[in-house]
Amino acid sequence: MNAFLNVNLNKKTCSFKLDASLCFPEGISSIFGPSGSGKTTLLNCIAGLTRPDQGEIVLGGKILFSSNQKIDLAPENRALGYMFQDSLLFPHLNVLENIQYGYKTTPARSRKIEIPDLIDLLKLDPLLRRNPLSLSGGEKRRVALARALARSPSMLLLDEPLSSLHASLRGQIMRYLKTISDDLSIPMIYVSHSISEVIAIANQVLVLNNGATVAFDEPYKVLGTKDFASLGYEEPLENLFDVTITERHENNRTVMGRIGEVLFTLPEFPVDVGQIVSISLKASDIILASEKPRGISARNVFRARIESLQRFGNRVLVQTYNSHRWLSEITLDAVDDLRLAEGSTVYMVVKTSSLIPLG
Amino acid sequence: MITDTELTALRISLQSAALGTFLAFPIAGLIALTLVRTRIRWKFLLDTLVSIPLVMPPIITGYFLLILLGKNGPLGSMLDKTFGVEIIFTWIAAALAAGLIALPLMVRAIEVALAEMDPRMELVARSLGASRLYAFWTITLPLCKKGLIASILLGFARGLGEFGATLIIAGNIPGRTQTLPLAMFTELQAGNDNSVIRLVLLSLILTFLTLLTHHVLIRKRKTEAK
Repeated sequence: MNAFLNVNLNKKTCSFKLDASLCFPEGISSIFGPSGSGKTTLLNCIAGLTRPDQGEIVLGGKILFSSNQKIDLAPENRALGYMFQDSLLFPHLNVLENIQYGYKTTPARSRKIEIPDLIDLLKLDPLLRRNPLSLSGGEKRRVALARALARSPSMLLLDEPLSSLHASLRGQIMRYLKTISDDLSIPMIYVSHSISEVIAIANQVLVLNNGATVAFDEPYKVLGTKDFASLGYEEPLENLFDVTITERHENNRTVMGRIGEVLFTLPEFPVDVGQIVSISLKASDIILASEKPRGISARNVFRARIESLQRFGNRVLVQTYNSHRWLSEITLDAVDDLRLAEGSTVYMVVKTSSLIPLG
Repeated sequence: MITDTELTALRISLQSAALGTFLAFPIAGLIALTLVRTRIRWKFLLDTLVSIPLVMPPIITGYFLLILLGKNGPLGSMLDKTFGVEIIFTWIAAALAAGLIALPLMVRAIEVALAEMDPRMELVARSLGASRLYAFWTITLPLCKKGLIASILLGFARGLGEFGATLIIAGNIPGRTQTLPLAMFTELQAGNDNSVIRLVLLSLILTFLTLLTHHVLIRKRKTEAK
């Protein structure tokens, strides 16, 4: 992977000293850490909203900041898209005018993204004449995303794009972000305090704690490390993945969804066949079996290969693979009893009610 | 019937209040911006200084203006020598008095509007490619529009009512510097009841029109938001 954004800076604030030295590749990277760890400060330094004490920021060969060369580009000259945590849409402009704002400030020769395409991509057509104050949380995020993209940024900075968003919209926004990354090939930095989101969306994660870099690696590799454990991360781990709806069974009130070779029986919810839906499945809701279970009420049983076993607090984090990388949490005793080892095959057992559609 | 002197008093009142507001507005804006947006140490001093004309008897404010602008005053002598202009006892002086007395109120109105606005809105605009000036023009000003309108009308209304400072620095010359309140004072002293009633009515109409303008402008803004 090519380094796209080189960051080497430090910045003292009242609560911590931010010290970061790394290269973000193209694709989606993430900055993860507990609140107050310096995530937003780092993002603001890159965007030019906060001035680092010293160091260098280079984006695709262009120096944005260099304390040695006394370069500090103004935020408007950095050609970055920034989506703020609480959207911050301009209340005196309607949705379309909000989106056009950054388009107008961009010189014609630098425009790569056209507004009608954005409206199409983010399905904003019915909202264009509305006042931002009248939008729902998910709609605000979509508009803010379109507004940031309309200036044809060479990179997109996202500060907690899913926070305080209703669960049923998280999947939708995440799919939009993936589409943008794939279709428009705009690199992104995604700030989050949810490691499950990071795993689902990012290729690389920078883990920050008190301003210090704890790790910078692929999200799966970071998970089981001691450094990660030292953060005392308490939130339950989730598997976030997309399925394609293949069938609806009206008689027994279930919906079938497929991801690769794995076919899930999902709880019924309003959805059409062929639609793509994001699903949340808690790591602690997966049961592992060394043999294929029989006479069992759980509807979903599939085989998977164990990729890794890692201590995770007082439990063991098992990463398995079949069409997707699955995270499950079991106890130490269970690992011994089942004689689980890397490379061996297990059966994954999932109750239908544990599969939560995110829209 | 309404007399020429009374009509002239109305005109002088209107033009001095208007010019005073016009001159005070950009100064009030700059002071409000400094008070809300900067983190300088002596800010409280500026804050106190601005409030002085609000708290001090206007007659004393007028006295300070007289010292400053009088023929031997620092500003007055300079104007006299370079341009051969004398401001004292002209309607311009009345305008300066009105502007200075109205300034604290105007600053407060803008200050409130600026403080209510999320300062990150400007940063959003900058991140969207807007220069500092463009962001100020397209985001900050429209978002503070309500406060700015309030500031102008409040300043204008206060200027219309100005008496003490105007009397000191512009005098009470009928047809030249006599404003509505000054005319009112003169007629009351002379016991011309009919004239007093006419002047009171004129003042009431002016007040009503000012408030109506405010109402219409603010209402318009609200419907725009919908």
